[in-house]
Amino acid sequence: MSSYFFYFLAAILIFASVCVVLARNPLYNVLSLVLAIFSLSSLFILLEAYFVGIILLLVYAGAVLIFFLFMVMCLNLNAPALTSLQQSRFKILGWSAGLLMTSTIYFAIRSFQTAQDTNPSTLRGTIESIGKVLFTDYLLPFELTSLLLLIAIFGIVSLAQGAFNTGKEEAR
Amino acid sequence: MIPLTYYLILSGIIFSIGIVGVTTSRNVLKILLSLELLLAASNLSFVSFSKFNGDYDGQLIVFFVILVAAAEVAVGLAIVVLMYRRLFTIQADELKELKW
Repeated sequence: MSSYFFYFLAAILIFASVCVVLARNPLYNVLSLVLAIFSLSSLFILLEAYFVGIILLLVYAGAVLIFFLFMVMCLNLNAPALTSLQQSRFKILGWSAGLLMTSTIYFAIRSFQTAQDTNPSTLRGTIESIGKVLFTDYLLPFELTSLLLLIAIFGIVSLAQGAFNTGKEEAR
Repeated sequence: MIPLTYYLILSGIIFSIGIVGVTTSRNVLKILLSLELLLAASNLSFVSFSKFNGDYDGQLIVFFVILVAAAEVAVGLAIVVLMYRRLFTIQADELKELKW
């Protein structure tokens, strides 16, 4: 039963990520990435990583992609600006790199077989079990993450302040 | 039960689609979205390794990757807004002030 779910979710995930790359309208790019994140989070839950799946849904689909959506609407890109975006000099190079990457990964992984390949552990990533590891073994990285977020806030505020100052100079 | 290799191949396909998106698009927003795809693909392989090895480390790495990606997107989008205010475009090719 779970294998049907896997194929279904994998198909949605591949379709949505192709849409992220190929769709012309930036709005559709962002919304298909939301779909991709939803199916990825369902795959995590299929792998019994409940906590990480829900966090992915909350942080990515809830915060990051809505932020992207705000940006797409704020920038208010007009039609000529978008059509001139389509041609790229590296199109053939990029697609051949992608194909090469896919085939390399495919053949490398196919030749890779281990004992635990088909019998997964009974590990369940519930909030309780993840929290125990997070607040014992991974306490220092967890605290350093808060420092990283603080530095990111400083960076954004200083960038926004610079934008405000150049705007004032242009207005004068 | 689905074997580990299927998850890894799926993750590789998503990663390659992300690579294509990063290399072929000139739209800065699209490049950032394709970067998110790359991170998502690596997250999938981490979680599947965690499940098949019986170890929580993979899931914790995914947790940290999600946090760092949130910070990265916030700074990246701030730079995109600044770029749009200065150059009135979001083409990556127009950022050539550091070229020489």
